[in-house]
Amino acid sequence: MRKQIFLLLAALSVLIIPGCSSQPVQPWERDVLAQRKMQLDPYPLDTYLDDHIYFSKEASRGGAGLGGGGCGCN
Amino acid sequence: MQLKKKKIRSQLSVATASLLTTVASTSQALETTSDWEVDTSVLYYAEADRVSLWEPVIRLRKDFGDDSFVNFRLVVDALTGSSASGAIATSSAQTFTNPSGNSTYTTNANETPLDPSFLDTRAAINMDWEQPWGKDVTGNLGFNISKEFDYLSLGVSASAKWDLNKKNSTLTTGFAYNADTVEPVGGAPVGLTNMPVFPTVKQTMGSSQDRTIYDVILGWTQVMSRKDLLQFNYVYGNESGYLTDGYKILTVVDGTTGDPVADPAQRYVYEKRPDNRTRHSVYTQWVHQFDEDVLRVSYRYFWDDWDITSHTVDMRYRFEMGTKHFLEPHLRYYSQSAADFYQTSLIDGQTYNYASADYRLADMTSTTIGLKYGYEISDSSEFGIRIEQIVQSADPSQVIGNQSSQDLVPDIDATILQLNYTLQF
Amino acid sequence: MRRNYSAILLVFLAVLVLPGLSQAEPTGSIQINTSNGVIELDSLKGQVIYLDFWASWCAPCKKSFPWLNEIHAKYGKQGFKVIAVNLDKDQELAKRFLQHHPAKFLIGYDPEGKIASQLKVQGMPSSFLIDRKGNIVSSHVGFKEKNIKSLEAEIENLLSK
Repeated sequence: MRKQIFLLLAALSVLIIPGCSSQPVQPWERDVLAQRKMQLDPYPLDTYLDDHIYFSKEASRGGAGLGGGGCGCN
Repeated sequence: MQLKKKKIRSQLSVATASLLTTVASTSQALETTSDWEVDTSVLYYAEADRVSLWEPVIRLRKDFGDDSFVNFRLVVDALTGSSASGAIATSSAQTFTNPSGNSTYTTNANETPLDPSFLDTRAAINMDWEQPWGKDVTGNLGFNISKEFDYLSLGVSASAKWDLNKKNSTLTTGFAYNADTVEPVGGAPVGLTNMPVFPTVKQTMGSSQDRTIYDVILGWTQVMSRKDLLQFNYVYGNESGYLTDGYKILTVVDGTTGDPVADPAQRYVYEKRPDNRTRHSVYTQWVHQFDEDVLRVSYRYFWDDWDITSHTVDMRYRFEMGTKHFLEPHLRYYSQSAADFYQTSLIDGQTYNYASADYRLADMTSTTIGLKYGYEISDSSEFGIRIEQIVQSADPSQVIGNQSSQDLVPDIDATILQLNYTLQF
Repeated sequence: MRRNYSAILLVFLAVLVLPGLSQAEPTGSIQINTSNGVIELDSLKGQVIYLDFWASWCAPCKKSFPWLNEIHAKYGKQGFKVIAVNLDKDQELAKRFLQHHPAKFLIGYDPEGKIASQLKVQGMPSSFLIDRKGNIVSSHVGFKEKNIKSLEAEIENLLSK
């Protein structure tokens, strides 16, 4: 189990760290990210209903939580 | 004579207290200058021969113009049907005492015993306020309440998002606390005591039981390119108190034949779960846009101190068909390993500290395949319809003797149909 | 791109990040494409300029347009000019936006973000106030209605000089 977490974190670091150090996306380049369909949770009711169903049928819960992205305005 | 039976749907009810999932939904980048957004949905969910429910939801979001928002959500659900009680199918008919202790119900031979049928309604309200705290930080405070006839859940949550590196990175933290009170019909049975033969009444340990749940979330979102977003979350949770399902039972069987013990007063036992559970999830999501289509892939790994581990893989691909319509197929694969106290049946003479035959705690896989169609009616309104099919199969913890001729843990198929409509004004 | 500028410009760009820290600095040779041809910012000396950066997908930008129309009308005769530079990659989206939110002020187009990069725009929308001598005296990131009063006070202050 600990090995799996470590591998997941390592894999993500490989993905995230280059993202941090390479040219960031400029504030005026967020046209695509501003779209509803590009949000982390574009249809919150769908997510709520699904989570509710799966929680009542399975032993696991949670995970998705909060996040960033979006148009970055204001 | 139909007695009104009010049942705790402890699993479904606690699900509504999943505040951190709720808090997630507030951070939307609306593309319009409207003050209000109304989001309505109706869900129809039906398991073959088991539970079915109708669930209308309405969500309102108000923009106060200074980057502060308030969200309000109201859910009502009406649930009918029944789930497996935890007792196993046997080659003879079986008789069980109702939770109220006032009557009995029987199950035919070679059929999986189900909780008695009931109609239950639940209502839940959720409100949260989103507010900027300084230049790059947004805070959120939430409250929720969920009520059924015999169940009450109250919860609060607080979270913050911190934007870094020209909003290319976002650090998120959150905390949610829930206090639940359950009042099982006929009282909460003492765990691992026998279900008595009618008219004897079960041993109880009080009419009302409490449960406390808290969750802590730590997350990171990274803009990878103009068309890529990557999210990573870690959630820690702890539940303590009455975590048992007061209606679930287990069948006590002979260790060689696998048949239920002869004495009916010794045959069924109420389940008992530990009074504490610590759980963890790591979750990652990748959102990628092609020309106009969007791919969304997520993975969650879950583990807890009940020895349950699970993997969830979820994929959606949104095909844009012109500017107004889209089709989005969806695939979800889930697999979990059983809780260490999961027992399909109990062996006569053996001692157990904890035991539950609830199939939700068994080794299990679940596959969902679905399709959503969305239509943009105007710049400020959207309609959607979604249909999904879930196939779930679980494995027994052991199969003893004659039990091999029974389907101890039947597969459960379910269908989801959902309609939604969003309007901004 | 950055190598086109002197060290002084780099210093003032760093200062530009902090709103309210007004250090009068020259604008350099900024050329803006508009539907009426190319405008050199230097040629507008003598006027107070409100240089705004916006895009069709930016919600607060939409909210700012009615106010931009207001100040254009209110202060225009005192030698005040609003130039709103659009940063949409697809100009069609900008044109569609303008059909729904008409602008009485001048619209510039910078689809590749060259001017935005030059001025190190930190967020959307962004605005720069330029005094009559052609110096950028302040910058603001984001548009919030509660800031309108202080923005108008700044403009009036610059107009009085």
